[in-house]
Amino acid sequence: MKGQNAALGAAGLAAFLALGEAVPRLGLVKEAYFPPTSRIADALLDEVADSAFWTALGDTLTGWALGLAIASCAGIVVGVLISVVPHLREATASTIEFLRPIPSVALIPLAVLLYGSELRSVLLLVVYASFWQVLIQVLYGVQDVDPVAEETARSYGLGTWARIRHVLWPTALPYVMTGVRLAAAVALILAITAELIIGAPGLGKRIGVAQTSQAVPEMYALIVVTGVLGLLINVGARTVERRALAWHQSVRGEVAV
Amino acid sequence: MRRRLLVGLTAVSVLTAATACGSSDSSGSDKAAESGGTTTVKVGLIPIVDVAPLYLGQQKGIYSKHGLKLEITTAQGGAAIVPGVASGQFQFGFSNVTSLMVAQSNNVPVKAVANAIASTGVEGKDFSGLTVKQDSPIKSPKDLEGKKVAINTLKNINETAVRASVRKAGGDPDKVKFVELAFDQMPAALDSGQIDAAQVVEPALATIKSQGGRVIASPLVDVAPDLTVAMYFTSTQYAQQNPEVVKKFQAATAEALAYADAHPDEARQVVTTYTKIPAAVLEKVTLPKWPAEPNRASIEALMKLGEEDGLFKSTPDLDKLLP
Repeated sequence: MKGQNAALGAAGLAAFLALGEAVPRLGLVKEAYFPPTSRIADALLDEVADSAFWTALGDTLTGWALGLAIASCAGIVVGVLISVVPHLREATASTIEFLRPIPSVALIPLAVLLYGSELRSVLLLVVYASFWQVLIQVLYGVQDVDPVAEETARSYGLGTWARIRHVLWPTALPYVMTGVRLAAAVALILAITAELIIGAPGLGKRIGVAQTSQAVPEMYALIVVTGVLGLLINVGARTVERRALAWHQSVRGEVAV
Repeated sequence: MRRRLLVGLTAVSVLTAATACGSSDSSGSDKAAESGGTTTVKVGLIPIVDVAPLYLGQQKGIYSKHGLKLEITTAQGGAAIVPGVASGQFQFGFSNVTSLMVAQSNNVPVKAVANAIASTGVEGKDFSGLTVKQDSPIKSPKDLEGKKVAINTLKNINETAVRASVRKAGGDPDKVKFVELAFDQMPAALDSGQIDAAQVVEPALATIKSQGGRVIASPLVDVAPDLTVAMYFTSTQYAQQNPEVVKKFQAATAEALAYADAHPDEARQVVTTYTKIPAAVLEKVTLPKWPAEPNRASIEALMKLGEEDGLFKSTPDLDKLLP
């Protein structure tokens, strides 16, 4: 079953690549603006052979990883704090709902004013965008705590810290993992956008330079790289999620009694 | 590039706020670290052919001879450069003259310090051109009435220039439909017929020409002979606090510009170090002129046309803006 799925997946990808080769070759779109797969592959090989490409990849991954780590930690800590401290949830709800929909890219002028075109500018945007993903999931997760379990823990005399550790955290963890997985994807998007627009070093900046240089195949090659990066990040995040929740019924696949 | 004006204006509002909070007093002077008589300055550039002299000057040791070390940062456009310079993240930046005049008339504290590029002044052989598709019926800028013309930024230097060309050809520029499009997207848009004409710069111009596109006018040449198109600028605050560094930058840049102008092959070569322009395209690229000094008369002409087009809130003070 699994082998068959893999074979079908590979066939689908091969068909897609063949289509990418055929469409420009048949003249349906101009080769100059949409080069065939083989030319993109050539450009990709050139990129991989260039050490500057690897530096750019490293810069992008640094921005992504640091930003995601900061956003996740902050999201979890703030989320738990807001839920545990009485009345804080109600007091902050409107502010969160106001701040959350602000698109991170709207903060680009601010980022440039504060930090120029450095890594910190990228981090500002990445953290702002990913933080809400984690925070909102943590808030949902905490809300999901079974009141009976909570009351039981209370009546057994568990303190706040013990209740967070043994009741709140296990309930919230699946939500937290979902939040981090979503944040991982958002963080990559924002890291590359920031590089593209602000000009902070990384893959995004390289795409921008290729674009303004009329180096079309190189541009698509770099876009393919970012796509692959997104794919790997998603697969990685799912693996981590499965490991961290190995005990949870959603992963074990058992029916809850 | 196309976001230059838009973000310039955003920067205006953000800057006003920043100045009001007094946060802009952390000037750039502390960031220009001095070591052994050499001052390191951060320069914000757009990775295009125009800025080749700075790379070449750095490579040839012209800047170090003047006691400067350039730390070059490239950004896609004014989005990062104008606010970056005004807030002191960069000490110097690259911008077109109209954007600088717009900023000046909006009281954004910028000051042009050195020349950057000028048009070649040769009709039909400029680094920028008003182009149409091979089989287009449009023969002259006058035929653009009622047609869609792409420029990189509305209400900026290229709109002024195209309007000047239409006027010169006896047409009414108010009847032209201007649309905003990034230079690098113009060849494809022109080819597919989404636009009727495009005001492009290199290397997109070379791409259009290689597809058989025709240049029907050189709008920058129509504005003024030998038009100063872009300049390097700093913030007024930095210029006041570090007059010595600014003087060094001016002297070194003038020398670098003269060198690049005299050695076009080396200039072409250095472009490959910071762009990805394919070799075949780079060969065909028309280089801009790199005169050491700005041409004030041409800037005045550009300003008059800009005023006619309503670009400025108040008349820009060229005495304050120009070096």
